[in-house]
Amino acid sequence: MSVSDKNFVTAILVSHDGGSWLPVVVAALASQTRPIDKVIAVDTGSIDSSIRLLESARISVISAERNCGFGDAVALAVQEIPKQPEGINEWIWLIHDDCAPATSALEKLLEAVEERPQVAMVGPKLLGWHDRTHLLEVGVSIAGNGARWTGLEEFEYDQGQHDGVHDVLTVSTAGALIRREIFEEVGGFDSNLSLFRDDIDFGWRLRVAGHAVLATTEAVAYHAQAATNERRSIDVEGALLHRPRLLDRRNAAYVLLANSSWWMTPWLVIQLLTSALIRSAGFLLAKLPGYAGDEILAIATLIIKPAALINARKERKNKRLVSARVVSTYIPPRWSQTKNTFVELTGSIRSKLIPVNEVASISVLQSLEEDEDLLVPTKNRQWIEILRKPEAAGYLLLTVITLIASHNRFGALLGGALPAAQNSAHELWNTYFESWHQVGLGSSHATPAWVPIVAIMSAFTFGKLPVFISLFFLIAPLLIMWSAHRLLQKFSNNSFITIPASFLYAMSPVAIASTNSGRFATIVILILAPQIPRFTSNWKLIELNSWRKIYSIALFLALCGAFSLVVTVISLGVIAPAIYVDYRAFKQDSNKELFLSRIYRRLTILIAPFLILAPYSFEALVKPARFFAEPGLAISGGSIGQVLFANPGGAGSIPWWLVSPVLLVLLVSLFTSSSARLISQYGISLISAAVISSTLAISFHGNSDQVTVWTGTFLAVATLCATVSGVIILDRIRGVLVISNIHYRHILAALLLAFAAIYGLTSTAWAVTAGADSPLRSGHSTVMPAFLAAEPHTKILVLREINYEGKKRIEFYVSRGTDIFLGEPDVAPGQIQEIETAAQQLIDGSGITSSKTLAAFGIKYVFVKKPFNSSIVQTIDGLGGFSRTSATSLGVVWRVSGAVGRLVFTSLDGSQRVLQSSEPGAPITVPGAGTLTLSESFDRSWQVLENGYRLPRAINAQGLPQFDVREAGEIIVLHDGTVRRAWLSFQIIAFTVAFVMVLPAGRRRKEIAEEELA
Amino acid sequence: MIAKRPLIQISILALAVASASFVNGSAVNRNFSESYPSVVCPPTMKGLNSQVSVASSKVQFQNLENRSSKTVPFKSSRYSLTKSSVVIDAKGITPVVWQSKARGWAGGVICAGPASTQWFVGGSSDVTTRGHLLIANSGLSDAIIDIGTFSENGKQPIKSLTLKSKSSTQISLDTLAPGDHLLAVQVTPRSGRVNSFMIDERGAGLRSLGGDFVNAYSSPALDIYIPAVPHQILGNSKKTNTTHTLRILAPGAVDTTFNAEILTTDGRFIPVKLSSRSIQAGRVSEFAFAPDISAKIFAVHVSAQEPVVASIATSITSNGHKDLLWSTGSPALSPMSMAIGGLTPVFAFSGDSISVRITVTFASGKKVSTRLKGTDLVTWRAPDNSRIITIDSTNKKTFAAAIITAADGSGFIPVQPGSALARVEVPNSNIRVLNP
Repeated sequence: MSVSDKNFVTAILVSHDGGSWLPVVVAALASQTRPIDKVIAVDTGSIDSSIRLLESARISVISAERNCGFGDAVALAVQEIPKQPEGINEWIWLIHDDCAPATSALEKLLEAVEERPQVAMVGPKLLGWHDRTHLLEVGVSIAGNGARWTGLEEFEYDQGQHDGVHDVLTVSTAGALIRREIFEEVGGFDSNLSLFRDDIDFGWRLRVAGHAVLATTEAVAYHAQAATNERRSIDVEGALLHRPRLLDRRNAAYVLLANSSWWMTPWLVIQLLTSALIRSAGFLLAKLPGYAGDEILAIATLIIKPAALINARKERKNKRLVSARVVSTYIPPRWSQTKNTFVELTGSIRSKLIPVNEVASISVLQSLEEDEDLLVPTKNRQWIEILRKPEAAGYLLLTVITLIASHNRFGALLGGALPAAQNSAHELWNTYFESWHQVGLGSSHATPAWVPIVAIMSAFTFGKLPVFISLFFLIAPLLIMWSAHRLLQKFSNNSFITIPASFLYAMSPVAIASTNSGRFATIVILILAPQIPRFTSNWKLIELNSWRKIYSIALFLALCGAFSLVVTVISLGVIAPAIYVDYRAFKQDSNKELFLSRIYRRLTILIAPFLILAPYSFEALVKPARFFAEPGLAISGGSIGQVLFANPGGAGSIPWWLVSPVLLVLLVSLFTSSSARLISQYGISLISAAVISSTLAISFHGNSDQVTVWTGTFLAVATLCATVSGVIILDRIRGVLVISNIHYRHILAALLLAFAAIYGLTSTAWAVTAGADSPLRSGHSTVMPAFLAAEPHTKILVLREINYEGKKRIEFYVSRGTDIFLGEPDVAPGQIQEIETAAQQLIDGSGITSSKTLAAFGIKYVFVKKPFNSSIVQTIDGLGGFSRTSATSLGVVWRVSGAVGRLVFTSLDGSQRVLQSSEPGAPITVPGAGTLTLSESFDRSWQVLENGYRLPRAINAQGLPQFDVREAGEIIVLHDGTVRRAWLSFQIIAFTVAFVMVLPAGRRRKEIAEEELA
Repeated sequence: MIAKRPLIQISILALAVASASFVNGSAVNRNFSESYPSVVCPPTMKGLNSQVSVASSKVQFQNLENRSSKTVPFKSSRYSLTKSSVVIDAKGITPVVWQSKARGWAGGVICAGPASTQWFVGGSSDVTTRGHLLIANSGLSDAIIDIGTFSENGKQPIKSLTLKSKSSTQISLDTLAPGDHLLAVQVTPRSGRVNSFMIDERGAGLRSLGGDFVNAYSSPALDIYIPAVPHQILGNSKKTNTTHTLRILAPGAVDTTFNAEILTTDGRFIPVKLSSRSIQAGRVSEFAFAPDISAKIFAVHVSAQEPVVASIATSITSNGHKDLLWSTGSPALSPMSMAIGGLTPVFAFSGDSISVRITVTFASGKKVSTRLKGTDLVTWRAPDNSRIITIDSTNKKTFAAAIITAADGSGFIPVQPGSALARVEVPNSNIRVLNP
């Protein structure tokens, strides 16, 4: 024993599979400037070379069980330390097997307590084991949610900013110097905390026993945090599943609940539970389900065994000399935790969005330029200089053109394929969530996934849908150009090529036609399409792509498919041949693992979007027309001739004589030897698919007539292929042409440029003149008179002459008293044959029974919208069963004779009576036994409850639901939304899974390199 | 292989275009329903005889006031009508009604489908008038009708009346603009299946001054052709030309000037009195003229700078008693058929270049076709025992009317279809109708 001063220091080195660090630790102990008086090692069943290393260093070793905790190990060692004479301050210096103190550590620790007899424990500044500038701890505390609180930023660089002696709640046991008598007085470490948080508990107990704890930065130790960083197994008793996080969280909760005041306990429980749930969700998002489980299990294991906690509180109560609130000054305030979380989160996002350019190329010359700048007088930048930049000029030109072309589109938009937008996103959400759509005779069709996307996006305009739709169409050309330009920059650095090409893409026939005809889905595809190449790298060697990227592709395709389901058809067209190629490769090399890896990835890309878009996508399997149906009203696309030249045709499209260079560029690109060739092959294939599709005529979205398929989606991607091909060709050929004599390439390039320029000029001229008079325009007119909406859910047969390609056509539909709004055509049912016949006979004057038919379907009014052929009005006047109720500037209204209503009760004697309800789902009284007919389309989810029992349901001759009423009483009519809710849940789950898979994966600590952690 | 790829791609595209062109069909299915609306004949007022000429005895009809919707055949091609108006399923062959009052007057009118608006230029509200406006609602719903009256004193307040389904009413002309001499009446149904007819009957004390149906216009026009105006030369020794009176109204808000050109078989001219005459808007004007021509029928072409309606009243002597005849404008002639059984009308065709092919169907069923050619005016008398005349073809801008002379007087019938083929497109169900 050597006593160098009045202090006797016994170092207790606890080892547990610490062979990796022990040599350094032992050396550090041996080289202390203030020699250690005694060193005792406790080995807790190490299975590596730890014992041998210790013994070779001539350190006496106490062997303990492998499941022995840190506190118990220290207690074993303390028992072995002989008592020192009076006047000698006995200290125990706790050393982890992964913690190497600096040579002056002990000396500095003792200096810190030299003049401070009240200090029971003092700890060093802990730095990283590998990165010795990485500040780990300068004292430690615990947050209200159980988090270990150091008050430091993540990976904080030590530059002396925290230097000094700090009064802290506690210090880490790694390198902590503790007065022996006080250690024994407070009972040592709690044996319930075999690992983790024992230091905080001990410090807390010291504090309430009236002692002080210091952290001095003069003393330094280097800590590998092997247990925390999962560098060794956790074998201590009570460590469920040997999971460090689980033990850490459990112990954190234990410390808080064992030491806090009683009155704080409920609040702490809530806080612990809430934070555990939040962290669990976070870990799930980071695809770390194990950690998520740890969070929940930690709280659960504590709650199911409250006895240990109760005993711990009793023990602490006996030894407490001051109030537990004394530690409150060391508990970090909640705002600081929130602030810290926010800073970490924003830092993480910032680092993702704006990655730091680590290669800073600051040269000597640049510093000289700075000096020069001081000498050179400042010049005012001329605006004309900015305009000379092709980017500025291009975007400015497109802005001006868009503003002129949109002069009829300032305000709430409708027309073409676009119905009027609801006033608020809330109404659009209703369309998405409701199980029964009150459109026409009603439908339970699945709402397409673009509805919630648009509703979410309208948050940019505070939920004002009309404003959002108008803004979207206004800025769409700029977004299209921007998106294309971002892509084209990867193929050419020459802005004089990429900007005009992006401009032409934004002014392409498909872009103009989509805007003019209100087809926002195709515009979305035009904006998104340039992002496709980001996902298609390694397409052949798809196994090189991570699952995260695969799900990114799936989610991206789901986003496109939400607006245009034909994307899934295109996906199939691309993936099916790829799988065939994979299969051929497998046949040759028999590498099953590789084959399966590719197949799984390709099938995920194909199937996952389909699942995310369910149930709308599933319904499309039954009604394949939906694959080609764009959102909104069903209006016709163009002819084969138009489609061949990448013009989708239809209302608002550019005239046939305005031929775009898309096809020419694609054909020329086919004969090049660059990557333009491959791209143009895709383009030609898409144009071929568009041509074939344009021969299809489908009936959808509440239009019984068949309309030519709109090929906008095919052509949008084909146009992009042509744009990219053109840029690649021009970028490559430019250099060749400059240095070579004139030959066919010059002529070809000149022809291409001339063709593109002529198209650009003429299409722009057309867009701002004749094109501006497009079907899509702002307007506030209404179809339905306001008084017809006064009776809620009243059905009205609306007849109207529609101008169709210059010819007037008579069309009809059943209204619920109001015009249609966004999303409603997509869920509109087809018409019923009986109603079609009744409407036809109304027009030709033969409809003697029309009124009876309409009454049977609950159609109460017939409304002929002006302007209308007066002979039709006279014809309806001449028919029986209709009595005119009004003739206004909006049109003429007749009331259909008879008992007409949503719910018609037919008594046993055959008399009919309309049952009125104040609102859907409200109780209604039936007068007796009979039959109840609901004038909504038949659906299995329609139910009528009387006295809590479901009435038997049948389908009547008109195809309407009918219920047998056995007795008088109150009934409730409802549409059971269970199926819709189930589908919504399915969709949300599918989306969440894909979304979580796309998120950057968190790494378990053991997966992180030691050098990175400490 | 690589060199072949572009060609394969182009071949695929060509194949797509070829196959698409082969299978491509019209996506737009347009179905039409064709039918002739039922026509309505005027009711028969007390003291009048009324016969309707129809295409055959199998033509179905029903009395207007019959609440049943059942129809029965006429069982005769010329049928005597009773009080009630009749609704005839004429199948495109326009029936003609001939009404007469013994030694009083006679007049004809075509039975027609319901009209959205009808203009009558004729009649009077002065002390001589005994005329009526007859209104029938053949629809199964009540009709609301506005009656607008113009006179030499301007526009009168609109009178509205409600007419029950399947009923008719008669309104005395003297109630429309009491005391005024010159009437022009516009009947506009706001609802209902409405037909109206005007009878302009005049008398002085017990002495009849004649009467006639005033045929209706559908709308005012800048050019009006009145294809047949009878012209009597009174006295054998001293030629005295009949005086005709042109009644004209510009119902718009702007005064206008007009020319009235007389077309005869001998040529055309504008009488001095009818050249560049001004008329006030909204006021009915009359201009008397007595052309010195030898023809028994002439036509008048009225051209104005603002839309006008016009008729010509002619007082003629028939079998020793005076009768009044209103010649009105006709629309341009188009292929059509008209039942004229029991009548022997003289048809007048007017126009710059006339070429009309007519087929006559006799009572026996025999058919004879003839072609009429000429300029300005061509007249043609239908053979005896004619049941139907059919206009097979005609030049553009040819106008026709018929003058019928009978024992009790003469009448004027415009040659126009009473019910045009209604080709109604079968409506499609499309939610687009609910989008503003």
